[in-house]
Amino acid sequence: MRVIIIGAGEVGFHIAQRLAVENKEVIVIDKSAEALRKVAETSDVQTIQGSGSSPEVLEDAGVADADIFLAVTDSDEINLLSCFFANMLSGNVTKLARIRGSIYTNYQHLLTGEGVGITKIINPDEEVVNSVLRLMSVPGAVEINEFANGKIRLIGISLPEESPVVGTQLIHLRDKIGDELGIVIAALVRDDQLVIPSGLDVIRKGDVVYFVCDIRDQEDILKRLGILAEPVKEVLIIGGGNIGYKLAKALDNKFYHTRLLENRQKRCEYLSERLDRPIVLMGDSTDQDILREENIKDMDMVIAVTGDEETNILSCLLAKSLGAKSTVTRVNNFGYMPLIKPIGIDYVVCPRQSAINSLLHFIRRGKIISSVSIKGEEAEALEAIALENSPIVGKAIKDLDFPRGCLVLCFQRGDEVVIPRGDTVIEPLDQLIIISTRQNIPKVEKVLTTKVEFF
Amino acid sequence: MRWKYVLHIIGALVACIGMTMIFPLAWGLYYCDGTAVPIGLSMVITMVAGGLLFLFFRDPEASKSAMSHREGMAIVALGWFAAGAFGGLPFYFGGTFETVVDCVFESLSGFTTTGSSVLTNIEAVPRGILFWRSLTHWLGGMGIIVLSLAILPFLGVGGMQLYRAEVPGPAPDKLKPRIKDTALTLWKVYLLFSALETVLLMFGGMDVFDALCHTFGTMATGGFSTRNMSVAAFDSVYIDYVITVFMLIAGVNFSLHYLLLKWRPSVMIKDPEFRVFVGMAVVFIIVITIAVYGRGNYDSAADSIRYTSFQVASILTTTGFASADYELWPGIAQAILLFCMFVGGCAGSTGGGMKVMRIMLLLKQSYQELFRLIHPRSVSHVKMGKTVVQDDVISGVWGFFILWIGLLVLAAFIVAGSGVDVVTSFAAALACIGNIGPGIGGVGPTDNFAWLPDTAKWMLTFCMVLGRLEIYTVLILFVPEFWRK
Repeated sequence: MRVIIIGAGEVGFHIAQRLAVENKEVIVIDKSAEALRKVAETSDVQTIQGSGSSPEVLEDAGVADADIFLAVTDSDEINLLSCFFANMLSGNVTKLARIRGSIYTNYQHLLTGEGVGITKIINPDEEVVNSVLRLMSVPGAVEINEFANGKIRLIGISLPEESPVVGTQLIHLRDKIGDELGIVIAALVRDDQLVIPSGLDVIRKGDVVYFVCDIRDQEDILKRLGILAEPVKEVLIIGGGNIGYKLAKALDNKFYHTRLLENRQKRCEYLSERLDRPIVLMGDSTDQDILREENIKDMDMVIAVTGDEETNILSCLLAKSLGAKSTVTRVNNFGYMPLIKPIGIDYVVCPRQSAINSLLHFIRRGKIISSVSIKGEEAEALEAIALENSPIVGKAIKDLDFPRGCLVLCFQRGDEVVIPRGDTVIEPLDQLIIISTRQNIPKVEKVLTTKVEFF
Repeated sequence: MRWKYVLHIIGALVACIGMTMIFPLAWGLYYCDGTAVPIGLSMVITMVAGGLLFLFFRDPEASKSAMSHREGMAIVALGWFAAGAFGGLPFYFGGTFETVVDCVFESLSGFTTTGSSVLTNIEAVPRGILFWRSLTHWLGGMGIIVLSLAILPFLGVGGMQLYRAEVPGPAPDKLKPRIKDTALTLWKVYLLFSALETVLLMFGGMDVFDALCHTFGTMATGGFSTRNMSVAAFDSVYIDYVITVFMLIAGVNFSLHYLLLKWRPSVMIKDPEFRVFVGMAVVFIIVITIAVYGRGNYDSAADSIRYTSFQVASILTTTGFASADYELWPGIAQAILLFCMFVGGCAGSTGGGMKVMRIMLLLKQSYQELFRLIHPRSVSHVKMGKTVVQDDVISGVWGFFILWIGLLVLAAFIVAGSGVDVVTSFAAALACIGNIGPGIGGVGPTDNFAWLPDTAKWMLTFCMVLGRLEIYTVLILFVPEFWRK
């Protein structure tokens, strides 16, 4: 499988690295020799120096034989142009483009239609907004991911000490929280190590559990796990850029009391003209007076999404020290990621990480329709359709030829969400959700892929 | 400012008004009530005077270049006064009044769609004259629609620039083509509603004459009736409700009606001013009905609703028809009606008062001030629906509000100074500057303005035009800067 990546920036770099590990033929194109050298040093990829929007370079890279074409430079225009030429040179290649500007994203249908023919537009800003909204919907959750069009959720949450399920063996979990509620524990994070558990593992206090459930059961399950958190209502968004504005717009309703802090007068005017309920404040996020004036200690969530990560981190720390209940910070540089939790910031969102996640959905081999990384990148949850001629159809879960560290979490059959037991048999067209550690992904893919359908 | 051009246009306007006297003339000839001669005479004088102005000041050069803001305002203000002066001629020649001030008062009360009357016995006046009296309302209404939706938004008077973009018509850069197109579109709507109401009133048992006169009074939110007892004389539930509904229709922005007839009802439903207007009418009707019924003014709840809704619609839209004497109602009912007099109809309607839009903006702006005290660093805008209201609009509205109240007080002082009691003075000034018609006290729904001293009548006549032309357009004539070259 040949993958061409335009742009060796943070996104391109990480995707290249991931795909190279999975033994795919990766070609990275970038103008900067420096960036290319960095990719080539860390991963087994081919590099071409040149402009991604040049047809000549694209031809050299063998776009005609490529399966997937990724345009992930920082410039929307270059991404669009290179997709345009790729389309001209090879109409069948799957084209994914990272597009952020709302001048383009508001006209997605033009870009995905004939002409440019982009298969999917990845908008990191929008994904960040969505992940913040998901975090807000389950207070206390470490991570929330959605599958099957939002019907199934994978929630990571740290258990309180007094939780009734502490000390329970996983095979007895359903007896403890009630048999009518379908729940599968997908992973446990213990001493910063991710474990994909078997039925014999025991939940201990201080664990972060990742579980899968039907979205309709979510509230009951959280209650039975002993997680009682107030819904997020009072929100302070720091930074009125693209993400801040989109977030405020999404929270522009009766339920939330949103404040949006921005330090440029012009931008404040712009925001206040377009937002109805959120209060637009003009000032600096590191100014203690303004934070106190706005009752920072009553804030359920402070979300720092300015373009400057140092400002984000510092304002979150300041807000936390002044009494904010939880904080979300936007970070661009992957190098800061391990730092966030230890210094006391609750959540981190990263547009580039979001872009990588979205792009990976499309690159998976076989009939995998979506996947998300869990806890940085240690494990992945995959969503896949069991095709009729797939070897897994007709087998019971316990008989599947899965490697260790892989679990079928649940599946969707028609409109129904099925939380399986060991003897549940897989039927054709079931949508499976599988969790797997990173090393085992190729093996899982092999099991899932049908015998006839090869790329 | 090109004087000749202004007089030229006013000449055309006066000639047109002269031509419309053909309608009362026709009624006079039909009824043979002796009004044909005075009306015919007035018609000739008006047309000749207008025609002479028109021809004498014709300047082919001037018509080519665009009309300036100043010329626009001068034409509007002087045009209204001229219409009032010439419109008083039939009353003068017909012997309806003895003094000039009464003729001008009645005529301008018609053209400004105020509806305050100095006639003591309406039914004694011949029908030809009465028809002219009601027709002045209708003509005035036509003028107001164009004024408030095409001219004032363009001139940016008293916050009316808010409507600049919303009115049907060509791009708002040239005054003249805009007036023409907008006027034709909106007059069609006006005509359609008028025809509909006339037919509906005739179904209720009115003859053509009464139906037409009351339609003129309703659609223009004027309030001249053909009976001494106003609409109460017909004592018909059906007629009361038809007039109530059409008064409310006339109190709504006509560009919304236009869009409604274009099958875009969602614009009307979403319009914030329309919503507040309807909401106010409903709440006031409910509260007053409860008060009136609880007090025992009427025997049945149905009667209470009927009279209350009529009176609320009549005062809120500043029409001024009466089907009951609200001065007999409990204090709360009168207080609410008094508040309605200040508010008036929607901007862009034929109603008077300060306009719902302005009251809304002032309240929103005041709330904004409170909000800024709580959140000193907030950046916020006053919004009407989703549109941001620019600061110049708000300051225009504030200026309008202050001038409106200030002139109301000043007029009340002058009326009181001429020997009238204090309640009546304020009520009369309010009724005239708000273009309502009846007030309270000595000028209540069962009284009229005939007994006031001449000084008071002149002052009130001036107030009617002042209120009708949104204050600024008239006051600007008194600013020396306006006359400088």
